[in-house]
Amino acid sequence: MLEARLEQASILKKVVDAIKDLVQDCNFDCNDSGIALQAMDNSHVALVSMMLKAEGFSPYRCDRNIALGVNLTSLTKVLRAAQGEDILTLKAEDAPDVLNLMFESSENDRISEYDLKLMDIDQEHLGIPETEYAATITMPAAEFRRICTDLAAMSESVGIEASKDGVKFSCNGDIGNGSVTLRSHTNIDKPDLNVDIELTEPVSLTFSLKYLVNFCKAAALSNQVKICLSSEVPLLVEYNLSGSSYLRFYLAPKIGDEE
Amino acid sequence: MARTRSTKPSTAASATDSDSTKSKSTITLVSHTGEAPKVFILPSKATPDARIVTLPNPRSSQPSRYLACPETGIYEFTKLATPKSVPRSWLIEAVPNSNGTNTNNQGAGPSAQVTMASELFVATAIDPLFLVLPALADAKASKGSNEFKRLFLSSDDHLDKLPQENSHLSEIMRWGTTRRLIESRMGAVCDTIEAGDEAMFRLNEKKLLDVVFQKAKRMSESGLPPSMEDKFVKKVLQAPMMHRVVRTGESQLSGNNTDSTSSTPQTESATSQSTESTTETSDTSVSQASTAATSVADEPAEENFASSLQASPEVVEQQRLKVAFEFICSSYVAPLLADNLQKSFSGTGGLKDFSLLNDYMASLEKLRSETMAVRAQDYGRKRNQDELDDEARLEKKRKMEEEKKKKASESRGVRDLKKVNTSGMKKLSHFFQKK
Repeated sequence: MLEARLEQASILKKVVDAIKDLVQDCNFDCNDSGIALQAMDNSHVALVSMMLKAEGFSPYRCDRNIALGVNLTSLTKVLRAAQGEDILTLKAEDAPDVLNLMFESSENDRISEYDLKLMDIDQEHLGIPETEYAATITMPAAEFRRICTDLAAMSESVGIEASKDGVKFSCNGDIGNGSVTLRSHTNIDKPDLNVDIELTEPVSLTFSLKYLVNFCKAAALSNQVKICLSSEVPLLVEYNLSGSSYLRFYLAPKIGDEE
Repeated sequence: MARTRSTKPSTAASATDSDSTKSKSTITLVSHTGEAPKVFILPSKATPDARIVTLPNPRSSQPSRYLACPETGIYEFTKLATPKSVPRSWLIEAVPNSNGTNTNNQGAGPSAQVTMASELFVATAIDPLFLVLPALADAKASKGSNEFKRLFLSSDDHLDKLPQENSHLSEIMRWGTTRRLIESRMGAVCDTIEAGDEAMFRLNEKKLLDVVFQKAKRMSESGLPPSMEDKFVKKVLQAPMMHRVVRTGESQLSGNNTDSTSSTPQTESATSQSTESTTETSDTSVSQASTAATSVADEPAEENFASSLQASPEVVEQQRLKVAFEFICSSYVAPLLADNLQKSFSGTGGLKDFSLLNDYMASLEKLRSETMAVRAQDYGRKRNQDELDDEARLEKKRKMEEEKKKKASESRGVRDLKKVNTSGMKKLSHFFQKK
């Protein structure tokens, strides 16, 4: 059986909020190392990969591998019942019909419990290799979100051009064009605002802004976002959760787009 | 029994009084402007002196064509025509007559003609009684037969009452044999008195009924034509088919059938010959038809074995008789007189006891109404079917709602992403291997 106690219910809440607009149903694969999730959007051009390591829970117990097939919209509804500082305990049988969610309020002795019906979801898993990216940009999550939403107002796609001068987000739309350029920047007082660009070779790729904006919903999870680019491979947008847990998004680049 | 003489060109010399249509045709087919030749099948026993005459139709009193032969009696024509949808025509070849009567065509070589009209006229014997019947029972008399006393009249006086225009009756009455024939037939249905050397006739409806009844009996027992048998006997008597298989009395029934059909027609044909002096051809038809009768009688036994009510052979026989009587009345007897005849025929004091048939029909009627009730239930079942359809509709609706729900279960973001233009974006499975 599974029993996982998460000190901050908000983490799961935010994760689900971030991916529910990308994926409808998905399996939470629980094993002794933690709870993992991998799902693609309907078009199969974007992939979300989540890993909540066992260390993030206290305690964490999973006797055998369990796949919790969940409709994310439904899960959102249940998670909405959680207050910000609630402690969340996930419980499930070995062959579960339902996922039990218990919210404990630390302030008062309120305990709310929900059973969420599970579903069988047939999903294919992709093996994602460790990749050495040509460019890795670390920047404030809010900044990335802002760039994406600003540019999304003008165009459907954004060109990300990483060079030694910096990283340039540019778009060209019907009403005109625009671009945002960031340079490496270190803020000693507020390290959250650092912009770090690691470059092994210049990269220029085009991506769908709609998807990027969607990814940016995870900005609440983490102050910093890591964007990894290489030619001809999917973009990786990674949000670090507590510890070594992460939420990663992959997006296929637009190739040969004649816009 | 009849050989085809056919076509006015060939019969003209021998059997027709109208030479106008005769064509002296050469080998080349010239378009014929006159009246188109018609094809007849004439009885071989009709003598060459036979003529096509116009006489008032016994039923409608309209002038109609008959073949009158001074020796063998009067023949009516039956027109056999193909439906308009199956157009046919005759190719008529007039060969130089082999028996030498057709002198006109001799030496002229074969002549041929194509005629568009595909009718075939068959002359069959008719009892002259029917032709004179309207005269014997004039409308006034039959209307109020109770008060009105029919008078004894001579045959000529009677026949004067027939429509005279376009009628050759007076001409054929000059033939001694024909007159004798007609008067003898009148005698069969009339009370007669001798007034001097002249016979006076007065219609006796009872006698008439008897004559017609005998005709009907003969007709029914020699077997009705298959089309009539189907339509008026089998169909009428056929009980509604039930699902349960009723085999009761089948074997016994077929045994009865063969008995009745083998024994009765023989006696009947004997009596018929005595009553029907004019139509000698018919006894051949009787003998032929008697075999047909057995087959006909057997058939329903096999076919109806699944039906809920079985018509006994007596019932079938009675129905046949009834149909035959009605057929004769409706074809050869003026409507008013026919009504009277049918009334006295089916009345309780009639010649034949129809109680079996009536009982059968009553039970059949009951059964039919029951079946209708069952059918109504079937319709009810059909409504159930409709309900099923409703259920299907509900199912559909539910599915639609489910779809809606499913849509609701996907977030707005997911919905929006469906509209995103992903052209130029390869699927991730292109980059990452499937596990």
